[in-house]
Amino acid sequence: MKNLVLLLALVSFAFSTAQTELPNITLKDLKGNGVSLASLSKDKTIVVSLWATWCIPCIRELDVISEDYLKLQKEMGFELIAISVDDARSTRRVKPAVMGKGWDYLVLLDVNNQVRRHLGVTTVPLTLIMKDGKIKFRHSSFTPGAEDELFKKFKEIASN
Amino acid sequence: MKKYALWACSCLIATVCIAQEKVGNFAGGFESNAQWYQDDEGLNFTAPQDQLRSNNYFSLRYTYDKFTAGIQYELYAPNPLLGYFPGFKGNGISNYFVNFKHQGLDITAGNFYDQFGSGLVFRSWEDRQLGVDNSIRGIRVKYDFTDYLNATAFTGNQRTGFELSEGTLTGVNTEFNLGSVLKSDTGIDLGASYVQRYQESTSADVNFPATVGLYSARADLTFDSFFIGGEYVYKEEDAFVNNRQVFAGNYQDGRALLINTGYATKGLGINATFRAMENMTFFSDRDESANPFLQQTINYVPGYTKQQDYAVTNIYVYAPQAAVVPGEQKAGEIGGQIDVYYTADKDSFLGGKYGTKFEFNYANWSGLDATFDEPNNTYTAALLSRGEKYFEEYSFAVKKRFGENLSAIFTGVRTEYNGLIVEGKDFFLKGNSFIIDAQYKLTKGRSVRMDLQHLGADADRGNWAATTLEYSFSPFLSIYATDLYNYEETNRHYFSTGGSYTRGRTRVALNYGRQRGGLICVGGVCRFVPENTGLTINLATNF
Repeated sequence: MKNLVLLLALVSFAFSTAQTELPNITLKDLKGNGVSLASLSKDKTIVVSLWATWCIPCIRELDVISEDYLKLQKEMGFELIAISVDDARSTRRVKPAVMGKGWDYLVLLDVNNQVRRHLGVTTVPLTLIMKDGKIKFRHSSFTPGAEDELFKKFKEIASN
Repeated sequence: MKKYALWACSCLIATVCIAQEKVGNFAGGFESNAQWYQDDEGLNFTAPQDQLRSNNYFSLRYTYDKFTAGIQYELYAPNPLLGYFPGFKGNGISNYFVNFKHQGLDITAGNFYDQFGSGLVFRSWEDRQLGVDNSIRGIRVKYDFTDYLNATAFTGNQRTGFELSEGTLTGVNTEFNLGSVLKSDTGIDLGASYVQRYQESTSADVNFPATVGLYSARADLTFDSFFIGGEYVYKEEDAFVNNRQVFAGNYQDGRALLINTGYATKGLGINATFRAMENMTFFSDRDESANPFLQQTINYVPGYTKQQDYAVTNIYVYAPQAAVVPGEQKAGEIGGQIDVYYTADKDSFLGGKYGTKFEFNYANWSGLDATFDEPNNTYTAALLSRGEKYFEEYSFAVKKRFGENLSAIFTGVRTEYNGLIVEGKDFFLKGNSFIIDAQYKLTKGRSVRMDLQHLGADADRGNWAATTLEYSFSPFLSIYATDLYNYEETNRHYFSTGGSYTRGRTRVALNYGRQRGGLICVGGVCRFVPENTGLTINLATNF
């Protein structure tokens, strides 16, 4: 019981502050070049999607956004960075999957779940909207229609 | 332990409160997975005495300038969920660390997670659904000498439940990006690692290996659209262990070869993986060989097969065979898989109005061609040889859109599965699965999804059918009902229903019914669950 009280106290205390950034680390892109997460959304608004090759809802989300990606880029400067949380079992599939699906996103590899652990998520997809290094919006599932909500939020945040 | 936990938490809060006066970043998460088990005669399932069980994880992390500190408190009340390692009992501070990062130097004291290469020699990781947290508690130092050269060294003991391993691990790793040194358009990455376990000898034999090391050398070449890489691992002689009995005088070494190659261009991606391994299990306590809870595993040996997405395709799943068990005629495995991803463009013959996506996977695994001396628990085998067939699978999926709002995935899978090798049941199964998964987008963020699944199999429990119906009221709230039915042998239905709500940083899911076990996807999220009957509540939030 004492532990439960302690736990609740900790939770309520912790809620008063907030995790608003990505971890200060460098991940590799599909060419093997390091990309620093801290500078991803410097002076702009971007969407970061945590996904995996084995996650159907994740693929559905990235597929549906991919269909209009060029148009979205032109119309509202929409940019998506897809961070794969595939581990050693499936990380080699990421590049063929991304290319085979014809996605134009910058794709980064989080092979040992550093980003996932930092953000405290056990489930994917996780979709973030980031501006100037800060997480402004966060959503953790995908069902059809969620992309419209995402575009709406993106516009809102980008123009603020 | 409890007193210690309280003390540590208060200290941290005090520190943080003071530190917040300045600036700093404070973060954390809370996750609770609870289940109320119920007796179910139809499943022959008897609920445990403490019917309500829960796994709770609470983590806090504080970052100030170049320092980060964190703790994780875990509470299993009154016992961990069924299927979890019994060592997760009670509560306590399970992990803690302090990290310092400055100009290429990265030092961690306390619990840390890391991976060398593909993980064949070392990977520490956490997966709460699987009940694995094999972080190392000790010291880790990583240093980037330049943009193209880095090295890591660590030493520590591995977490198991709320305790630490008896064996002490030490490792070094270095990675060298030769491509950037040569300013070449071709990526050339080289890596080498050494990881050892020291555990006191339990034998009078002076040759008994107290220290066992694994060596890894690897290279990756990345051209414009073609890539190839390989890793070779040698494991020094370790004492043979069977059923927690350590055999002095019987020492066996191991080895593994991993090759990966592929080709990727816009619209077409191909990947092929080959792996052969012999005696490649490696535990931080040598007695723990082949424990079912994946405790104290030092290296990571995943099954290189397609991770299937549906109920009927998750019944006969291959598990990699790294261990030597002469009594079961096992010394390792050899095999591989090929993946092909292809997109047919819009307005092409195969693509139609919206384009069509194709996915193909072929996987094939066999044992090594080995000769066993069962009375002496020894064997002889060649790494590049094929013995008995363990598993073979063809998977084919087509993703097609039929209009603005309707899309579907058609999947076909042909599986051959050696039940004796994978789960110790004497059967060899051949099965064919077909799945139609359709999704319809309604207005205002509402949508409906339905799937129909069938597995026709010639062994074990025979044929299965399944269906799922899912309705989303919005991107935030969805409900589902699903049934998996074994209509040939057991006549059992695995019916379950539930829903999930997700908003911002918080997700709540509620499920009631029977679960056969496997990967379950609800409201756009997938997780792994073991077989049981009852009411499940999952809550996850972070801040």
